[in-house]
Amino acid sequence: MATTATAASLFQASAGWLAAAAEKLRAAGIEVLAPIEREQGRVDLAPLEGRNGLAANYLNTVLPLKRLSFPETEVILNYDKRENKDVALDVPSAPAGERVVLGCRPCDASALAALDQVFEWDYDDVRYRQHRERTTVVAFACTEPDGHCFCTSVGGSPQGEAGSDVLAYPTKDGGALLKPLTEKGAQLMERLEGVVQPAPEGAKLPAPPLVKPKFDPDKVKPWLDEHFEDAFWTEATLACVGCGACSYLCPTCHCFDIVDEAVWNRGERRRNWDCCSFSLFTLHASGHNPRASQAARYRQRVMHKFKYFPERFGRLACVGCGRCVRTCGVGQSLVAVLADIEARNGTGG
Amino acid sequence: MDSTINGALQQAAAQLLTEGKVGLVIGYGRANGGPSAAPAFVRRAEDAERLLFDATCFANLAVYLAKKDVRDLLRGAASQAVGVVVKGCDLRAVNVLLREHVVERSGVVLIGVRCPGVGEPLLSKCTACDVHEPQGCDVVVGEAVPQAQAEKADRYPLVAPIEEMPLDKRWAYWEEQLGSCIRCYACRQACPLCYCRRCIVEKSSPQWVETSAHLRGNLAWNAARALHLTGRCVGCGECERVCPMHLPLSALNQKMAKLVEERYGFRSGLSAEETAPFSAFAAEDTEEGIL
Repeated sequence: MATTATAASLFQASAGWLAAAAEKLRAAGIEVLAPIEREQGRVDLAPLEGRNGLAANYLNTVLPLKRLSFPETEVILNYDKRENKDVALDVPSAPAGERVVLGCRPCDASALAALDQVFEWDYDDVRYRQHRERTTVVAFACTEPDGHCFCTSVGGSPQGEAGSDVLAYPTKDGGALLKPLTEKGAQLMERLEGVVQPAPEGAKLPAPPLVKPKFDPDKVKPWLDEHFEDAFWTEATLACVGCGACSYLCPTCHCFDIVDEAVWNRGERRRNWDCCSFSLFTLHASGHNPRASQAARYRQRVMHKFKYFPERFGRLACVGCGRCVRTCGVGQSLVAVLADIEARNGTGG
Repeated sequence: MDSTINGALQQAAAQLLTEGKVGLVIGYGRANGGPSAAPAFVRRAEDAERLLFDATCFANLAVYLAKKDVRDLLRGAASQAVGVVVKGCDLRAVNVLLREHVVERSGVVLIGVRCPGVGEPLLSKCTACDVHEPQGCDVVVGEAVPQAQAEKADRYPLVAPIEEMPLDKRWAYWEEQLGSCIRCYACRQACPLCYCRRCIVEKSSPQWVETSAHLRGNLAWNAARALHLTGRCVGCGECERVCPMHLPLSALNQKMAKLVEERYGFRSGLSAEETAPFSAFAAEDTEEGIL
C-alpha cells in the first residue's frame, strides 16, 4: 500500500544522483561503497569510482553487508616476542575514516540489527563497534525480488527499515525518494544538499513488490522446542556436503575462529569467519565431537537461527535474503526445511 | 533428452532394492521446486519413483560414496551395498575411488546413465565429452548418445587463454581471482576425490596452510587443492560449479590434467584398474618435474 509521507521526512533525487552523491561524499573525504558489477552477474559492495561498473538491476550482492563490520579475516592483535622474553602487544584500531554504503538491500541492513545485539551483548566488541560507528547505511528498497527471497516470512519486507540509516526508493526515472531513519541518516541528507532536495508535500512512496510468505517461524519454533532428537534431521540433510557456503554468504551468521599467524617471534592474531557446518567446528582436543554427524551440524544451524537466537535476543537470526538457498550446490533449502517443520508442527509429527 | 530414461532408472533402482542387492540408491530427484535436480536418497523400492534424469542433473553423486553420514544410513539394512547413478564423467570419479581403495567394487552398484550433456547451454565439459557411454557399470539406462571423437586440444579449453598471458598478467589474474576466495571449502566438500578425513588445511599443529582468507592463505589453499588432485582430478567441474565466488577452478584443474596427459600419457579415472603416475614408480619416469 502506498503511504504518504510529510515533506520534512522525505527527500528526492533525480537521475544520476548516485554518482553525484558519491562524488560529493568523496570530495569530503568519505569512502563510498556501492554495488559494483565486477563480472557479469557478480555484484560486490566496492569503492565507487566514477560510474563504471555500477550495477543497475541487481538482486543482491554476492557477499553480505556484514563483511564491512565483520570481515572474512581481520587482524585483531599484533605481537612481538622480544629477546628479554617480554611480549609487545599492539591492538590495531579499525580505520578511523567515515564511510557510506550506497545501495545494500534492506534484508542485509536488517541483519546488522541482529549482529549489533550479539557483538554488543556481554562483551563490547570494539572492532565491530568501530566499523559500525564509522558507517552510514543507505539501503535501496527492492523492486524485483526473486523466487528465493523470503524476507516476509521472517518479519522483514522488501522495503524494511531496520538497520538502515536511510532507505532509498528507486523511482522509474532513475531518481529516488530517500527516507532518513536515524540521526546519521538525517546528517547524510544535509551533507548531500544539492544532490537531494526535500520531497514535495504528498510525495508517494511506491508499494512494495510481493514476496510471498513461505513459512511461519512462530509455528516452527514449537516443533524445534520438542525435537532436538528426531530422525527428521538426518532425512532432511542427507544431501548436505558440509561446506560453509550458506554460512559465509549469510548476512546474520557470525561465528568466528581466532588464529595466530607468526613468522619467528612476530605475528598477528586474526579473526576469521567460521561455520557450524564444518566437522572441525566442535571437534574437541580429546577427539570427541559433540556434533559428529552432518545432521547434528545442520540442526545447529536451524536451531541457532530459529530457536536459540530468538530465545536470547528476541528476534530471528535470519533475514530471508535467500542466499543460502541460491548458492547451495546440492539443492539443500532452508526454506523447504522450515516449511516441512511447520507442517510437522501442525500434525504433531 | 531421452523420455524413457526416468522409467528405466526407476525400474532399475526398484529392482535392486527389491532384490536386496543394495540398501540405498543415490540418484537425482526434483527437490523443493528448485530449477535443478538435487541428490535423492532412496531406501525403499516404492520411493524409486522419485528418481529422474535430465539436463539439470549436475551434481557428481560419487561424492556421497565416501561420506560417513551416508554409509551410516545402511546400518541394519539387509544389503550394505550402495547403488549410485553416474554419468560417464561421474563414473571416472568412482573409478578413482575404486583404484584408491576408498570404495570396494563389491560395495557399490553402478547405475550408469547415457548422458548427452547437462546445462543449457551445455557445460563446456559436456561439449568435449568422450564418455557419453559409461563403461563397466552394472546397469546402464538411456538411449545411446552419438560419440563424437573428442580431440585432446578440446579437453583443456580453459588453459590456453591463461597460458597466453604474460607472466605478470597471469599473476595479476590469479591474484584477483584467488584473492576473493572466502575459504568456505565448498570446492573441497563437493569434490568426490577430496575425501581425506582430515584435510591438510585442518591440521593446526603446525598450521601447514593458513586458514585466513587473505591472498597468502588463499594462494596456499588453492595451490594445495590443485596439487593434491593432480593426476587424480577427473574434471567433473563440481568445485567450480559450487563455488559461491565463481572462481575459475576448472582452469587450474585443466592445467594440471593437461600436464599429466602430456608428460605421462595419463587421463585419470578412465578405468578402475589403471595405475596412476603418482602412485607407481617406473625406471623410465620423466624427471622433468623433479626440482
